[in-house]
Amino acid sequence: MAKLDIIGIPRALLYYKYRYLWECFFKELGCHILLSPETNKEIMDQGINHSIDESCLSAKIYMGHIYAIINQVDYIFVPRFCNFARQETVCTKFNALYDIVRNTFPHKEVLHYNVDVLKRNGELKGFIKMGLALKKNFFLIVKAYIKAKLKQKHHDKLAHKQQADLINNESCLKMLIVAHPYNRYDKLVGFPIIKYLMENNIMPVYADIVDHKVARQRSLNISKTLHWTYSKELIGAIDYYQDKIDGIIFISTFPCGPDSLVNELCLRKIKYVPMLNLVLDELQGEAGLHTRLESFIDIIKIRKNKQEAVS
Amino acid sequence: MKKGYLGVDVGSISTKGVIIDSDNNIIAEDYLWTEGNPVVAVKQLLKNLLVKTRNKDLLVVAVGTTGSARKLVGTILNAQVIKNEITAQAIGTLELYPEVRTIFEIGGQDSKIILIENGIIVDYAMNTLCAAGTGSFLSSQAKRLGMHPEDFGKWAIRSKKPTKIAARCTVFAESDLVHKAQIGHKKEDIIAGLCRSVVLNFLNNVGKGKNIKPPIVFQGGVSKNIGVVKAFADITGEEIKVHKYGHLTGAFGVALLAKRANDEHCFDFNFVNMHFETKGIECMKCPNNCEIICVYKNNKIIDSWGNRCDNGAVLKQ
Repeated sequence: MAKLDIIGIPRALLYYKYRYLWECFFKELGCHILLSPETNKEIMDQGINHSIDESCLSAKIYMGHIYAIINQVDYIFVPRFCNFARQETVCTKFNALYDIVRNTFPHKEVLHYNVDVLKRNGELKGFIKMGLALKKNFFLIVKAYIKAKLKQKHHDKLAHKQQADLINNESCLKMLIVAHPYNRYDKLVGFPIIKYLMENNIMPVYADIVDHKVARQRSLNISKTLHWTYSKELIGAIDYYQDKIDGIIFISTFPCGPDSLVNELCLRKIKYVPMLNLVLDELQGEAGLHTRLESFIDIIKIRKNKQEAVS
Repeated sequence: MKKGYLGVDVGSISTKGVIIDSDNNIIAEDYLWTEGNPVVAVKQLLKNLLVKTRNKDLLVVAVGTTGSARKLVGTILNAQVIKNEITAQAIGTLELYPEVRTIFEIGGQDSKIILIENGIIVDYAMNTLCAAGTGSFLSSQAKRLGMHPEDFGKWAIRSKKPTKIAARCTVFAESDLVHKAQIGHKKEDIIAGLCRSVVLNFLNNVGKGKNIKPPIVFQGGVSKNIGVVKAFADITGEEIKVHKYGHLTGAFGVALLAKRANDEHCFDFNFVNMHFETKGIECMKCPNNCEIICVYKNNKIIDSWGNRCDNGAVLKQ
């Protein structure tokens, strides 16, 4: 029997959005997966070393994850995303990632799929090409894709249901976290903020856990002209959860282009709830962060107490 | 014997302390430079406060700390309340001016705006990475002009036509200031221009997009500069209130919070004779390599912080 191919998946960026799709697909094809560890300071430092200065922190961290596993795998998995339809694009970072990785680490073979629907490259076509590149049987590939797709859908629905149950059952203060999944799950970027909230008895409600179709539709209530799909899903969630939350925290990484525009837009347009905008970079000290979070929580608590006293 | 409540505000540049009585009157206050050593500064502060209250038959029963060194000083003083400076300042200001709607605060290294509606904070903003337009900016420009920052205000209000100075960034402001002086602008005009640029910088950066409504209270160390107060009044077109205790509102606010905490135990001024030490260690147990700060009282560890995970928890031995 031939030795199993080891496919390296960096635990960063879109991994947090498509983890079940990717992991299930490769497992069904009989490949072995090596997932990079949770982000730590060493990964971040290596990422900074392997990126240009102008990259956003999340993309720098991604490069660090690739560096952490690149010598232990046969393939490194880096998909390319461009658009899902007209007016449904993504940050250019996701267009470029495949080429950046290939040029930064030229000695390793990059496994990829391309989602560029306007140029007739859909997800299924991409997965078939990728499976064929791994020399797998065509029918096995299609079967694996369908199974993986269903699994991803199932987990998305489950997460949504669990969050909805928590919102209905918990009486504590609820804070909507508007951040890309790769920022809010990251051990160094979003996790310290989430941990701080939970230690202060505040339930985080995640804007990325929502029915994405509904969210894209509802984002029109806030802005009609956005064309970044992932941003639409996040701000649509603000509209969706608006009457269930006590405050909003925006978390973005410096210098994220889409977030700098979209978060500012929300800060100016939304009036009914207190908001805090946190922009993180690699020089971030925890002290300033805690001062901002602590005073923001104070504001929300005092406001809530006053409201309850009135009603 | 009367009960007293101590509030300590340890900022980057100055350390402030007040003792209030049960009717919220300030009985004693003190103000000194932190000089990069908060522990020494707080010891000196407490010595001074002790001298000022010696004949007043006072027992301090609660302590609160705020400011950037609030955690360290709070641990050392065994404080009941450790609160961020935004909340503390708002509480303090609301006690002095219950009707206030907007608070401008410019300190040594930070500046903030706090918006209040019906006696509660509804929004705030702070400067982030940049210290342009704060107290340290003014004092470094004063040095360049060869004068004391304390005299700035007197010079500024003499000016009839303030010079325009680019104040987006300290570095540019400095070169612009030299240029303006060399082409013959009067010293008082340049100083008034600097005060004006501090205000513009504040309103454009920190106050950006905020709905500023009167009554406006201006506080923090820079509020002692009458040139900046005048510039604020000119630009906003509103009356700017400055309290004589404007630099102490953080300490005052946290003293009030300590009083409200309802957890009274006698504070021992003997603290000034104890030996405190902090040590920074690198954890080395995982790639994060957190820097952990340990606080020792008479060579015994009393607290530690800085670790991201439980691996780095320092055992209290």
